Amino acid sequence: MINVKNLNKIYPGHIPVHALKDVSFDIPRGQFVAIMGPSGSGKSTLLHQLGLLDEPTSGQIFLDSIDVSKLSDRKRAAFRLRHLGYVFQEYALIPELNAIENVFLPLMLLGMKRREYIRVAGELMSHVGLAERLNHLVSELSGGEQQRVAIARALVNNSRILLADEPCANLDTENKGIVLKLLRKLCNEMGQTILMVTHEPEQREFADRVLWLRDGRLEKEELIDKESQKNALLNIYRTDISSDPDFLK
Amino acid sequence: MREIWNDITSALFLFYKYVTRGSKGTLILTIIVATLAFLEINIISGILSSAIDQVYLQTKASYVSNIVIQPGKDQWGNNEQYIKQVSQVKRRIESIPGIIAASSRYSCGAVIEYDPDKTGRETRSVSWPVESINPDEERRVSDIHIHLVAGEYLANADRDRIILGREISGGYGANLELQSLKGARVGDEIKVYYVNGIVRKYIIKGIYSTGFPLADMSIFVTENEMESVLNIHDRASKILIKTDESYPEEYYISMLRQAGLNTQDINPWISFIGIVIGLTQTFGIIKNILLLIGLMVSGVTIFIVIFIATTARKKQIGIMKAVGMKDEIVILSYVMLAFFYALLGICLGIILLELVFKPYFAANPLIFPIGKVPLTTNPAELILSIVSMLIVSLIAGFIPSWRIARQNIIKAIWG
Repeated sequence: MINVKNLNKIYPGHIPVHALKDVSFDIPRGQFVAIMGPSGSGKSTLLHQLGLLDEPTSGQIFLDSIDVSKLSDRKRAAFRLRHLGYVFQEYALIPELNAIENVFLPLMLLGMKRREYIRVAGELMSHVGLAERLNHLVSELSGGEQQRVAIARALVNNSRILLADEPCANLDTENKGIVLKLLRKLCNEMGQTILMVTHEPEQREFADRVLWLRDGRLEKEELIDKESQKNALLNIYRTDISSDPDFLK
Repeated sequence: MREIWNDITSALFLFYKYVTRGSKGTLILTIIVATLAFLEINIISGILSSAIDQVYLQTKASYVSNIVIQPGKDQWGNNEQYIKQVSQVKRRIESIPGIIAASSRYSCGAVIEYDPDKTGRETRSVSWPVESINPDEERRVSDIHIHLVAGEYLANADRDRIILGREISGGYGANLELQSLKGARVGDEIKVYYVNGIVRKYIIKGIYSTGFPLADMSIFVTENEMESVLNIHDRASKILIKTDESYPEEYYISMLRQAGLNTQDINPWISFIGIVIGLTQTFGIIKNILLLIGLMVSGVTIFIVIFIATTARKKQIGIMKAVGMKDEIVILSYVMLAFFYALLGICLGIILLELVFKPYFAANPLIFPIGKVPLTTNPAELILSIVSMLIVSLIAGFIPSWRIARQNIIKAIWG
């Protein structure tokens, strides 16, 4: 699904910064991977390369066997639109659009018919527990709700790969729980491949596997057993979601 | 093709949301500036155009009509003093289709003396040609008879009566003090010393004011009176010709030549306003400068608004690109916004121009030295200003949005 070979990223400048050094790994379809490491270890840089937001200095990235590391800007944009979903650290929504408009925007860009993209976006909004908030402006949503809208937008193009850059960084405990459980659910039930950057150790237990980075190198890998995952789902970030009947049905 | 259409509809969607959900204050202020720029371009240039048109209209209506025939040279190459056999010449002129009327005038140099209290202590005099008219004929080529501000127009039988232009009488808002009798009124007596030595006394029968200084600097007696002064008959110093203006003056001049007026000097009205032509050229330059300034004001305003909007939304634009939106859609949405600002400014400007400013200036025309000037708009100039403003808005929308849209996504989102 995702194959990364000898990936290097050097930011030029007076003192060039070697942000990624010969990083290589494979991720099979449907795996939830947490990327962890101290600040400056290259977590976000790695995610930017995988999300085609930036070009690696050298090395190769294969997404579904397609070498995406050398695509032109235009093709990268088309690839992002059709095959990738990206959730940003901050609630990266467009303030002039309401919740459902933010979600259906990628489908509109893909040329889907209006009736169809409204239906698909509406279903996804229900899926993330925001069926009642479709027409609310971004400013009328809480941080957690905004991040769930962002997740719905990342999924709306039926992408197989979801990239999340510290999606819980600005959320309170309850909303952290909601977002992480939603990501876990997407992986379990929809076979979504998820790469999530986080610096909070307890969040790694929602994942199947953890890639530890240090100084731009892949330092170690860790597999999370099912028991830890179950424990995380039950005990970490305990949330009262009874008021949200559609959520995690 | 479908992809292009989809890009346009996506840009339209974003543009619509920027307008409906963006800052209403910014929207209103930008449209107001665009409206003011449009009005600045069109009101000032409209007034200047109107002033130029007014000069042309008044020259034809009150000064020299459409065409003037003057004596040419005789068979030995000497300048003739008069056009001979004028009655016959006028009949020939009026037989040409499209020529409405012809009116002959004598012109004779004179000194006009005015002694208001008849004591000789405050005698005022001016040296100026006195012209003669056939009042009935003249009514058909000039509108002086409708511009009397005091007294009456001349009658054919009048012999000791004279009418003066406002500038000669020196009253009724006259501006040219040096060539004025400084307050001669209807009923007052003036003495005219003709260059041939004849001296006549006249009662001022009327004073006219067309508002056009060149036309208001004339002195008229009747044709019969002038023929007795000059002791000649059936001649003229010039013939004024009124056409129906279905063709340019040059066409009628060629028809006059074909009708046998080969020796006379024939000129269109424009030849008699040499001084004013310089003024109209200056007005033209001023109009172009104002057009440029107006376009710059609206262009820079829209540029700043789009620049601020795109800079403030830099992160948002980065996110849209991260989602997969093409640069072209981002740029197009802002170009549409800039175009919309300009279009609304233009529409509002046209409404104000037609419903407020034009009626106001029609009721309260500006008083220029060349006469009263209302506000008129030339359709070609109006269209030019509209098209120019729209083109400027497209450029003003494109540059800042292109600048932001081509930025690296990472930089746009995280700075």
